[in-house]
Amino acid sequence: MTNILNTIIANQNISPSQAMDNKPLPAFTFDTNGKVKPKEYKGHLLPSRIFGSPIEYAKDLKKDIVSIGKAAKGQANDYELGRINDLGMKLGALGLAAYLFVKNPLKLSKAMEFAGFGTFFASMALWPKIAIQAPIKARTGVDIHQKYIDSQGRKKMLFQDPQYVLTDLYSKEQLEKMGDKLKVSKNLPDRDNFIKQRAQKTALQGNTLWMMTAGVATPVMSALACNRLEKPINAIIEKYDLSSSARAVENIGNKGLLSKIKEYFNAKSLEKLLAKNADKPLNDKLIAKIASKIGVQANSASIQAAIQDELKALRTPGTLNETSIINLLKDRIPDLSALPQAQKDALNKAISEGSIPKIADILSKVTGSSKREQVKLAREFSAILTEAKNKAAVPSLSQVSDKIRTLAANVSEFASKKSVLDRFISARVGDKSGTYIANQWGKVSERVIKSLKLSGKELKSVSEGNVEILMERLSDLASQDAKFDKVVQDLIKLIGDYETKTGSSFTTTVKETAENICTAAGGEFESKGFKRLAQSVSDAAKKGTVENIINVNTAERITGAQSSFYRLIQSLDLFRAIKEGTLTTRISKILTENGQSADSASVQRIVEACKKVIMDATTTDYVEKLKSSGFGLSEGEYKTVMKVLFDSESESAIEASLKRTVGSDRASELLKGFKAYKKEFMDKIANWQNGMTSDLARCTVDGVTNGANAVERNNLAGKPISNFFKDTAKKVYNSNKWLKIFGGTMLALTAVTLIATLVIGKKSKTEKQAEEQQKTNG
Amino acid sequence: MVYSVGINDTNTNKFNHVTFGSEQKEKNKTEAQDTLLYEEKKKHPLTTGLKIQADKFINACTRYPKKGLEGSKNSNFYEFLTMGMVPYVVGSAMMIAVFNLASKFFETPAAVSASKLGKKMGIGVIAYGLAKTFSKKLIEVPLNLRYGIDVNLPYKKVVHELPDKDNLNNLVTHEYHKAFESVDFPRWDLFYNNDNYGKERESYYKKVGKKMGLSDKDLEHADQKVKPIIKEKVVKTKLFSTLSSYLWAATAVGVSMQSPWENLVVNPAKRIANFKNYRKLAHIAKEEGRKIAKYDNFAKELGQKFVASCKEFFNNSSKTTRYAGRILLGSAVAMTLLGNFSTLFNFNKNRGVKPNASTSLIDEKREKVVC
Repeated sequence: MTNILNTIIANQNISPSQAMDNKPLPAFTFDTNGKVKPKEYKGHLLPSRIFGSPIEYAKDLKKDIVSIGKAAKGQANDYELGRINDLGMKLGALGLAAYLFVKNPLKLSKAMEFAGFGTFFASMALWPKIAIQAPIKARTGVDIHQKYIDSQGRKKMLFQDPQYVLTDLYSKEQLEKMGDKLKVSKNLPDRDNFIKQRAQKTALQGNTLWMMTAGVATPVMSALACNRLEKPINAIIEKYDLSSSARAVENIGNKGLLSKIKEYFNAKSLEKLLAKNADKPLNDKLIAKIASKIGVQANSASIQAAIQDELKALRTPGTLNETSIINLLKDRIPDLSALPQAQKDALNKAISEGSIPKIADILSKVTGSSKREQVKLAREFSAILTEAKNKAAVPSLSQVSDKIRTLAANVSEFASKKSVLDRFISARVGDKSGTYIANQWGKVSERVIKSLKLSGKELKSVSEGNVEILMERLSDLASQDAKFDKVVQDLIKLIGDYETKTGSSFTTTVKETAENICTAAGGEFESKGFKRLAQSVSDAAKKGTVENIINVNTAERITGAQSSFYRLIQSLDLFRAIKEGTLTTRISKILTENGQSADSASVQRIVEACKKVIMDATTTDYVEKLKSSGFGLSEGEYKTVMKVLFDSESESAIEASLKRTVGSDRASELLKGFKAYKKEFMDKIANWQNGMTSDLARCTVDGVTNGANAVERNNLAGKPISNFFKDTAKKVYNSNKWLKIFGGTMLALTAVTLIATLVIGKKSKTEKQAEEQQKTNG
Repeated sequence: MVYSVGINDTNTNKFNHVTFGSEQKEKNKTEAQDTLLYEEKKKHPLTTGLKIQADKFINACTRYPKKGLEGSKNSNFYEFLTMGMVPYVVGSAMMIAVFNLASKFFETPAAVSASKLGKKMGIGVIAYGLAKTFSKKLIEVPLNLRYGIDVNLPYKKVVHELPDKDNLNNLVTHEYHKAFESVDFPRWDLFYNNDNYGKERESYYKKVGKKMGLSDKDLEHADQKVKPIIKEKVVKTKLFSTLSSYLWAATAVGVSMQSPWENLVVNPAKRIANFKNYRKLAHIAKEEGRKIAKYDNFAKELGQKFVASCKEFFNNSSKTTRYAGRILLGSAVAMTLLGNFSTLFNFNKNRGVKPNASTSLIDEKREKVVC
C-alpha cells in the first residue's frame, strides 16, 4: 500500500518551487473526491518577552488545572503531562517553602524561604534568557527560545526538537532579517533554506550551552540574589515591626486586637485538663499543672506564683464546703440510729435548706434515751463533721472549675496585653537578630569597617584580633579630613536615629503602658476576688517596679548599645586628636598640673595607654584600675589616662568635624550626650572605690564616686573597640569570602558563556562552501 | 502487509521491520531493531536502571554536548532531554556547595552555624532526589504487580544517523527510552510477537487482559481491548506519581531540616581514621578477651539520625510546625493512595470497545491540521 497522503500531494499542481516558496504553503483544498481536507493551520509565533504577563500565567494555570482533571480520568496527552510536571514542581517547592516558613522562628528566615523559592525559579528562567538567549539574538537575530502556539493551542519552544522545527512559521520579513544578521549571502536562490538551517543550528548550539551552564548558574544565581535581598527584606520587616507594634500599643485595650493575638490563652488545653481531672482532688500537683497552663502566657515568675496562691486559696474551708458537709450528712442520716424521729425530720429539713448552723443547732440539742446513746450520737456526728471538713478542704476539680476558668480568662487578658507591650519592646531593643537595635548595630559596624578600607588579608588579621593594623587604619582615617567627616556624619545619622527610636519617648511609652496594664489588671483581679494576683500587679504599678512583672530590661539594653556607639565615637575622637597633635598638648598639661614629668616619653606612654584602654579595656580591667591585664598602669598614669579620656570638660577633637558635617546645633547636641556619657563613666567607673582594696580605691580622678551596680557598669563600659572590630571583621570577612567564591564562580561562568555566545551561529566552512556552490550554480 | 519503519541504512544494510500481520511474524530480529529490555530488567532489576542512567549521564556529559555545540544535524530531542540530567546533577552538587564550601573558611562560631545549616541543606538536596525518584515506585510498582504494566519498562532504540563530515561509517547508535514514555505514542509494537510474554503474537496484551479480568471473547482481540485501558492507567500513574513525588520530595527536605542532622560528622578522612582506630582497639580487646561496643558506622548513624528527624518532624514541639509537617506528609500519603486507588481499580466500564475497522487511512469527514 502506498502512502495515500503522498499520492494526494503528488497529484496536486504544486510545483517544487512553489513548495519551497518562502510563504507558508497554502492550505490544501480538495474536491469531494479527494481524501484529505486539511484545515488552514492556526499555529503562530509568540512575541518574545523576558517576563510573561500575569494574565497569561493565570490562563496557563487554568489550562493546567483542567489538564489535571483530564489526566485524573486518564485522558491527558504528553504535552499536558509535561506541564503538570512543571506545575507539580512549583507546588512542591511552594509546599516546602510554606513548611519552612512555619518552622523558622525569625521573620527574616520566614521571608527568606519564599525569597529562596522565588529566586530559584526566577534564576532558572532568567539565566538562559539573559546570558544566552539575549546575546545570541542580538548578534544573530535568532531567538533560541522562540515560542509558538500550535493549532491545538499548545505552547511550545520552536527549537526544542532539532529534528522538528517549524521554521515555516516565520514570515518572509522575519527570515530576511534573521538572514542578514546571520550573514547569509544575499541573492541565493534558496536563501530561506540556508537561513532556516543556520537558525536551527544556532538554536541547537544555544540550547546545548544552556543545558551545560544551568546547573551551576541557577543555584549560585539564586544564592547571590538571596544574599542581596536579605538586607532590603530585613529593612521592610524592621519597618513593619516598628510601626505595627507601635499601633498595637496605642490600641492595647481593643478587644478585637487582643483576641487576634496568637499568644492568647489556649482555653482548649485548660478545658482538656479540667475534664480529665474533674473528679480528682485539687492537690498541689494538679495546682502546679493548672497554674502552668494558665500562667505560661504571662511569662512572669511572680504572676505564676500568684496564680498558684490563688488556686491554693480555693482549697481552704469556706462557703463551698457546706455542700460537701450537707451531702455527707444526708448519706449518713440512716446511721444516726439513736436520733428520735422528730429530730430526724428536723435535721432532714435543715439539710434540705442547706443551713449548717441549723444542723449544728439540732444536733447539739439531741436528747437520746440514754447517756450512752447521747455519747454515741455525739461521736458519730463528730466523725461525720471531721470527715466532711477534711473532704471540703480539698475540693474536687469539678467543684472549682468555674472559678479556675474565670481566673484563666483574667490572666489571659493580662497576658495578651503584656505580649503587645513585649512585642513593642522587642521590635526595638529585643535581644535577638532582626530587631531595630541589632540592625542598627550591624549598620554602624559595617559602615565603620568599610571606612577603614581593609584588604582581604588585613580583614582576616583583624578578625583574628590584630589590633596593630586596626590602629594603623584608624590613624589613616583620622588624617583624611573628607573621609573622616563622611564617616562621622554617617555614624551621627545612625546614632541619631537610634537615640530617637530608643529615647525618652520610647521609655516613657513602655513605662506608662506597663503601669496601665498592671493597674487595669489589678482592678480586674480584685473585682473577681483574686486578691493575691491583684496585689501582685497593683503593687508593682504603685511602686513603679513593673519591670518585675513585665520582664523588661530596656534601659540596660539601650545604655549598653549607646555606650558602645559613644566608645566608637571616642576612638575616632582619640585618633583625630593624636593626628591633630592636640592630645599630646592636653596630656602635657594634665601631667604638669599633677606635678608629673611631661617629657615626650611620658607623654607618649600615656598616648599609647589611652589607645590601649579604648581598644581593649573591659569592665573587669576597670575594676582592677588597669593595673594588670596587660595595661600595667601606675596610680598616677591611671588618673591621667582617665582624665584624658573621660574628662567631660575637655575639648573634643571631632567637634570641628561634627560642625562641618551636621551643623553646630546637632554637633553641640551630640557633644552634650557625649559629655554626659563621659561624666557618667567618670563618676561610676573611673572614680569607683566601693568594696576595693585601699590600693585600688586610691585610684580615682577626683575621689567623687556615685554608686552603680555591676550591670550598670558593664553597660556603661560599652564594647571594647578591638572586640567590636574583631566581630565585625569576622562577619565581613566571612561574607566576602562566600561572595568571592560564588560571585567569582558566577562571574567566570557568565564570562565563559558570553564568549561562547560569540561563536554560536557562526558560519562553518562547509556552510560557506555550500553557499558559494549555490551562488555558482545560480 | 509490511509497514516499514525507520531508514534503510546502506552502511549497515540492516532493516527495521515491524510486522503487524500475525502470519508474518518477524523472523529476522537483528541488533538493528528496537528491543524491550524486559529480560535484562527481570534478571537485574536494580542494576539495569542504574546502567541505563549511567550510560545516559555519560553521554549527556560527553557526546551529546559535543554534538549540540557543533550544531550536528544528528542532534535530536532525546539528546536535549537527556542533557537535562546535567543541570539536575550539577545543580544539586552546587546547592550543597553553596551552603557548605564557604563554611570551610569561616571562623567559629560562624562556621558552626553555617555548617549546621550546610549539613541540613546537603542532606535536603540528596533527600529531595531520593524521595522524588523512589516515591514514584509507590504507585508504579503496585500497578505492575496488579496488571503487569511496567510504566518504566525500558527499550533500546536503534538510531541511524545521517553521515556527516567526521563520521561516514559508524552511523548506528542507540538511545534508551521507555515503552510508555509517551502516552500519545506508546511503543505498542514492541509488545507484539515478544517471546518474553509468550508464543502468541498478542501474548502481552492477553496476559494484561487476563489480569484485568477480560472475558475470553474479549481476549480474542486482547490488544484492541487492552491498549486504551493501559493508556489510561499510564496517564493516571504519570499524573499521580509526578504530583506525589514532589510532595514526598518536599516532605523529605522537611525531615532533613530537623535538628538531629546538625551534628552529623561527614568528614570521610576522620571517619576512616576512627574506623582504623576502632579496629586496632577491637583487635587488642579480642586478644585480651574483652568485648567492646559495636562500631557505629556511617549508615547506622544516618539511620539513627533519620529516625530521630522523622520523630522531630512528626512530633515537633511547636504546634504549628507539627501540624504543618503533618499536613505536608499527609498530602504526600494522600496523593499516593489516590494514585493507587485510581490506577488499581477500573471505573470506566465502556472503555476499550473495539472501534470499527477503518476502510481508509484518513477519515475525510474529519478536519486535519498540519501544524
